[in-house]
Amino acid sequence: MKKKLLITVTAILMMVFTACSSGKDDSTSNKGGENAGSGETTLLIAADQDPSGLDPHTTTAHSSHRIMGKIYEGLLDLDEDRNFVGQLAEDWEQVDDTTYTFKLRENVIFHNGREMTADDVKYSFERILDPDTGAISRSYFDVVEEINVLDTYEIEFKLSKPYAPFLSYVASGANAAIIPEEEVEEHGNLDQVAVGTGPFKFEEMVPDTHVKLKKNEDYYIEGKPVIEELHYLTIVDESSRLAAIRTGEVHLTTVTPDSVSLVENDDNLNVITYDALEYSYLGFNVTRDKLDDQKVREAISLAIDRQEIIDTVMNGEAELSGPVPPSFGDWPIDVADLDMYKPDVEKAKSLLSEAGAEGLELEMGVPSTEALLVSSAQIIEQQLANVGIQAKIVQLEWGEYIDAWNENKYDMLVGLNGPGRDPDRSLGFFFSSEGSANVWGYESEEYDALIEDGLVESDEDKRKEIYDEAQEYIINDAPNLFIYMPKSYIVVRENISDYNPVPHNTEDFLDITID
Amino acid sequence: MYVLSYIVRRVASIIPVLIGISILIFLIMQVIPGDIVSILLGTEATPELKEQMREEFGYNLPLYQQYWNWISGVVVGDFGHSLRTGAAVLPEILSRFTLTLELTIFASVIAWIISIPLGVIAAVRRNKGSDIGIRVISLLGVSVPNFALATIIILVLSLQFNYFPPVGYVGLFEDPIRNLERLLIPALVLGASMAGSIMRMTRSSVLEVLEQDYIRTARAKGIREHFVIYRHAFRNALIPVLTVIGMQIGFLLGGTVIVEQIFSLPGLGQYVLTGIMQRDIPVVQGSILFIASMFVFVNLLVDILYGFLNPRISYD
Repeated sequence: MKKKLLITVTAILMMVFTACSSGKDDSTSNKGGENAGSGETTLLIAADQDPSGLDPHTTTAHSSHRIMGKIYEGLLDLDEDRNFVGQLAEDWEQVDDTTYTFKLRENVIFHNGREMTADDVKYSFERILDPDTGAISRSYFDVVEEINVLDTYEIEFKLSKPYAPFLSYVASGANAAIIPEEEVEEHGNLDQVAVGTGPFKFEEMVPDTHVKLKKNEDYYIEGKPVIEELHYLTIVDESSRLAAIRTGEVHLTTVTPDSVSLVENDDNLNVITYDALEYSYLGFNVTRDKLDDQKVREAISLAIDRQEIIDTVMNGEAELSGPVPPSFGDWPIDVADLDMYKPDVEKAKSLLSEAGAEGLELEMGVPSTEALLVSSAQIIEQQLANVGIQAKIVQLEWGEYIDAWNENKYDMLVGLNGPGRDPDRSLGFFFSSEGSANVWGYESEEYDALIEDGLVESDEDKRKEIYDEAQEYIINDAPNLFIYMPKSYIVVRENISDYNPVPHNTEDFLDITID
Repeated sequence: MYVLSYIVRRVASIIPVLIGISILIFLIMQVIPGDIVSILLGTEATPELKEQMREEFGYNLPLYQQYWNWISGVVVGDFGHSLRTGAAVLPEILSRFTLTLELTIFASVIAWIISIPLGVIAAVRRNKGSDIGIRVISLLGVSVPNFALATIIILVLSLQFNYFPPVGYVGLFEDPIRNLERLLIPALVLGASMAGSIMRMTRSSVLEVLEQDYIRTARAKGIREHFVIYRHAFRNALIPVLTVIGMQIGFLLGGTVIVEQIFSLPGLGQYVLTGIMQRDIPVVQGSILFIASMFVFVNLLVDILYGFLNPRISYD
């Protein structure tokens, strides 16, 4: 009996021991093992989420875009200062108010081996515009009336009316990608296959495990990309991602602000910080009693100390933001000095009594999955209590939250929004009466007029003046209170160089190298 | 013969259960707030785009027709396609189930090896030092949540030993060593919590049996003690233990969301969870139905095993 037990225990211990020691061998062999032959030319990225399909025209998920962005390209792109640069277009010209022509790069080869021509550009935009595709960017290109192939490498777009955001939307990444028709014909859609012109080719996707991309040997920029392979490994749990980067199992991972302090003193790791292209907000249902009064909304704006939220929730690592976050090139206005951003409890109280809204009780919805937003809501709740407003926090599961947002179910919602590609997106889309993301019930003729002007003004300076005014208008009328622009954090191993993320293009892996 | 007809009758009785489950899960997915169209489109949702997607997914049809379309496919092995990724559901469930099954077997074996002998020892040496020690261990096994144990193990291995289990899953037949390396720690974590409750159940069950008259008789006849315990007591004591084991295996086959997530294992639990969060209806319906069938099947197996352990249990 004792003997048997002894044997069993020894056997278990041996199992554990051999596994652990073989583990060690394998973890070192792993870097050269699984990726044998590629040595240190394979960039391993820990992804916090699995991609949701890879069709560039219909997919919205960020987890998909970070992969599609390597495989697909559009006609134009933005450089780090948000200026237009050619991607598949070598040159472009606005011929008149409603006509644009693009001269294409020659000898660009799709990953299936065929050359990309103007016919593919025509096909891709027609696919986007076809209602049956269900393309995300269809509404961006509603104004396109005609697409004419002028020759093999030249194409012309005719619009039904002047439309200033046109080029910004042409530069909207995978959502306006140029794709080969034959692949769509063959597969029905591009969810499970990916054939573009980008620097990396699609190799393999195993759900909840990994996506593997390989260097496009025919890429039109000589010598780029430098690395041979790109593997996205799905590791959902943050502490596991941290463990993976610490031990060198991966080269790069995103982390939340809370985890930064855990890795910043590690000599093997570098933390790269950049401004996120988004802002947090407190949105009002302006159709509800009292909240339909600008004075009440102003009072709430003055009751909230945004800097306190930044200091406590974000450890001071965020910036005040308006409807266009500071990371959006030249477009945002400086909000720090605006009256609406200066906390003033006394004034808030007197505004509330003027509006007859003392002792107001409000429900505030927040997505329970976003810990930072929940903490923000808790601070807002306390700050509002100081002026006699009782805000009740309702934590909502993500699907429920999206529903609540769409149907405007609560008095207030705490959330995050992105400014899109063009200032019209940041301002018109969310707040004009016709804007399809204006869920707030907000209507202002004056504001709508500004948005209309901005849409057709082709002179950049004049257009900027219009949007400056629109930003101030929306901040003062306050259908939403804009709070902060967060930072994003990426942790890389110290042997990674030439990796410089920018807010609107976080992962340009053309230059990145592994030493 | 009796056993065979019993099995046939049980399998037949499973069918209405599964139909009931399929209707229930279908209705639950209809009732919960939030739909995939809004989740997929987010702020990009225009009314036309939403309407068009609904139509494409068949959400504009009457409920009974939606149910019929789904279930008539399921019967012939077509579980539909994920609305999120477009991938077919059944192959995905099966490939994940292989991992889940392997993990379940691995974890169960670890749990049995540890818990059953220790449970018997604790019972035989009731209230002695070793019993108390074993009871403390089993209590720890039951009460330390597996996410905590998993996180602690990952942290200790990565910080102290600079070791991280290889990322990604490799099939058992592709590369057995790497596969086992990948599953060992998750299996230990799951096995530890399983072992706790099996140990407690084994101990109390063996204790109960040892009080029985026939054991006294056996001892009185002068049969050697370990013979009494293994021949006479142990087999009978196993019945309640088997019930616990059956339940545990049923649960494990449904996937272990947290452990899968922490160790980045592409198992069933992870699949269902993502499906639920994204309201990916075909994925959730298909996998829950599959998991429910597994549960029912394991229960059936346990019932049959009862008879082998104790021939007095009849199958009438």
